[in-house]
Amino acid sequence: MNGFLFDVKVLELADEKGEFCGKLLAGAGADVLKIEPPGGQATREIGPFYHDQAHPERSLYFWHYNLGKRGITLDIESPPGTDLLKQLIAEADVLIDAQPLGTLEKLGLSWDALQALNPRLIYVVLSPFGSSGPWRDYKATDLVHLALGGQMMCCGYSPTEDGSYDTPPIAPQMWHAYHIAGNQAFIATVGALIGREMTEVGEMIELPIHQAVSVCTEIDVPHWIYGQTPCYRQTGRHAQPAIGPEVQFPTKDGRYSIILPNPFPGGYETLVEFLESKGKAGDLNAEHYKEPKNRRGRAFTEHFADIQAACVADFDMEEIWHGAQELGIPWSPIRLPEENPDDIQWQTRATFSQVEHPELDESYTYTGAPMLPNQCAWRQGPRAPLIGEHNREVLCEQLGLSAEELADLQDKGIV
Amino acid sequence: MKKRRPLEGVRIADLTWLLAGAGGPRLLASLGAEVIRIEWRDRLDFLRYMPPFASRTKERPEKAGAMDLTGLDTGKVQSVNRGGYFNDINAGKYGISLNMKAPQGRELFKKLVAVSDVVVEAFTAETMQKWGLGYDTLKAIKPDIIYMQQPGWGYKGPYVKYASYGPIAQAVSGLTEQSGLPAPHPPAGWGFSYMDWSGAYYCAMTILMALYYKKRTGKGQYLDCSQVEPGIGMTGTAVLDHAVNGRHYQRTGNRSPYTPAAPHGAYPCAGQGAEKDRWIALAVTSEEEWQALVRVMGNPDWTAQDRFVSLAERIKHQDELDRLVSAWTQEQEPFGLQERLQAAGVPAGVCQTAQDRIERDPQLKHLNWLLPLEHTEIGTWPIKDIPFHFANGQVSQGGPTERAAPCYAEDNEYVYKELLGLSQAEMDAFQDEGVI
Repeated sequence: MNGFLFDVKVLELADEKGEFCGKLLAGAGADVLKIEPPGGQATREIGPFYHDQAHPERSLYFWHYNLGKRGITLDIESPPGTDLLKQLIAEADVLIDAQPLGTLEKLGLSWDALQALNPRLIYVVLSPFGSSGPWRDYKATDLVHLALGGQMMCCGYSPTEDGSYDTPPIAPQMWHAYHIAGNQAFIATVGALIGREMTEVGEMIELPIHQAVSVCTEIDVPHWIYGQTPCYRQTGRHAQPAIGPEVQFPTKDGRYSIILPNPFPGGYETLVEFLESKGKAGDLNAEHYKEPKNRRGRAFTEHFADIQAACVADFDMEEIWHGAQELGIPWSPIRLPEENPDDIQWQTRATFSQVEHPELDESYTYTGAPMLPNQCAWRQGPRAPLIGEHNREVLCEQLGLSAEELADLQDKGIV
Repeated sequence: MKKRRPLEGVRIADLTWLLAGAGGPRLLASLGAEVIRIEWRDRLDFLRYMPPFASRTKERPEKAGAMDLTGLDTGKVQSVNRGGYFNDINAGKYGISLNMKAPQGRELFKKLVAVSDVVVEAFTAETMQKWGLGYDTLKAIKPDIIYMQQPGWGYKGPYVKYASYGPIAQAVSGLTEQSGLPAPHPPAGWGFSYMDWSGAYYCAMTILMALYYKKRTGKGQYLDCSQVEPGIGMTGTAVLDHAVNGRHYQRTGNRSPYTPAAPHGAYPCAGQGAEKDRWIALAVTSEEEWQALVRVMGNPDWTAQDRFVSLAERIKHQDELDRLVSAWTQEQEPFGLQERLQAAGVPAGVCQTAQDRIERDPQLKHLNWLLPLEHTEIGTWPIKDIPFHFANGQVSQGGPTERAAPCYAEDNEYVYKELLGLSQAEMDAFQDEGVI
């Protein structure tokens, strides 16, 4: 089966800011060539590591975010390196550039020059804050982006009784700033590829990560725009103008489950029936509570949460949620990521797959396609490129360097 | 040269709702697709009933319609066209009314399919089949149709009937467990539906991939999307750490999970009254950044102590380091501190509220992140624009309508008359019969 982007060639000059976008493009079937500096991209230093050995070929971060790509090493700032880069750009459909701003410009590869080199090029620039503006040169990390973007002030633990917080806002780290940016960069890139079918000309797309992250919160922005109402963070649920009902409860085995209110008509009654079937409905079947008007207000909310908590506390995390879901109750375990490969749903959908690492004579479980395609394939390998793994294939076979020329570039530290 | 929209000429029949469903077509509208949002009055999108609302006066908007534990109180809403959140999530779309439960409604829908490129829906799994509108039928009407189904857990698999909302997808995928202070603290999870946005992103991404494939091959396809799998895809490193090293994920709070860094976290700042919950995030990874921080702090004696002399030592003594840094930050005004730290080369950022981003953040303002768009009933309001800036193409959240969200049934004339060729008399009849 073809990949969706079966005839698209992508060049990637990127660290963590752009590697996720490249990974998704590779998954979608594009031929993604990662150009690393000699010695390898700095993201090879990000842990965790294979058997905890810090080594550029053993970064599990790098494995995950560079799955399905090919890789070469090239010092693009050396004149021969710049020249080879230009040859690659001339044949590419997409260039992802997440390098420090101005890196290509300094090599004589401004957007105008790139267009002259390849009028059909889609040039995608990911930078922390954009190429102009008062914060252009600010430094950022995943944490700093999630602070400035508003995620942190939405996430964390509920305030104490007097409304003050004794815990900081929490960054849901794990590179989500770059996930958010990468997903939106993918949307822009494929959108531009489609547009190019009509216009026959390329495109330059700028994606400031700060802006991408800032638009990825929910009701805090409309609440301020329409009512100048602040939202307050609270444990395990949406930041809201007021502290809402608990939805996250500890289970018997020391884990947590989540039960959401079901907004459909009859949703509440179904949950009460389910609790009753477990002998845990408390007094919710009392006549008093059959009247919806008696189920409003803080006192009931807290009482209802206590009843749900008492039920959840009696069972292991994975024990009863299926029964609830079969009745349409939005109830689920709060799982660890590594618990999902064992789930029958994901096994049925081949959500995870094994990827071979021939050098290690092993294969490992990777996360796979983010959806289930039927007529096209999602690329799920090979494993991330070794440092300079495709130098010969790309520089000799594709660009026509001789073995001697390649060896010479190697000696000079250019590849 | 006239600027063109990248998805010019692409038409999408949008049978989604909420954010996870309706957010994907929103993004496609920003790229220029003609998105036709189909709604029916008996079961409207909950977001139409959800606060905040655009007020008719300068007063604070009414809070009616809030969802509590016992469901939505839909009766209290003055008008279904005033929800601010709905306005943002559906900007750039056309809107029509259509009763899919009526046989005649389904016939009209088929006419729309015949002139569409994409059908996207987020009904419970068997709904379209039940209506006789499965992929085979859609394909018979329009051979190159792209049909995307997105029940929460995916169509294929035993959980096809399970319910999913953002917090459920976050909990199952592992994202909730990964966020928060280390045990014994419970997970903090997410204070918004991150997986609703992600569901929206992957809906748009998948449709775009299929549209590209169609441009190149002429073929449409059927796509089975879930809200949970994109979340799983963002936990890959933890999955690998377990597969390779047998390690279970442990939360690190705001401390750096895998890159050695200290100080790394949220530090309290000076603030009073409503401003007292003020924090700044610092992420110090290199010796250079540490030295810069020490200078901005005014070279306090404690920084010269052996236990803070190297990154390894600072990580080992992080609790003490955090206490000392906090004692200093809590005397500082947050935005001035951010400015001084960044000028010195320290990655630092205030934990910004929505108010900060809307009223204060000079960079977002410079990037025009909010786009004033007109809504027919509530007037012009700022809408979050898409964060990608195209040099050649015309791309913005106004989309082809150059408008905020549609009022209920706002574009019936355009769609039924211009696109589908109905006469006024036919439209009137359908309206009387409760079809549109």
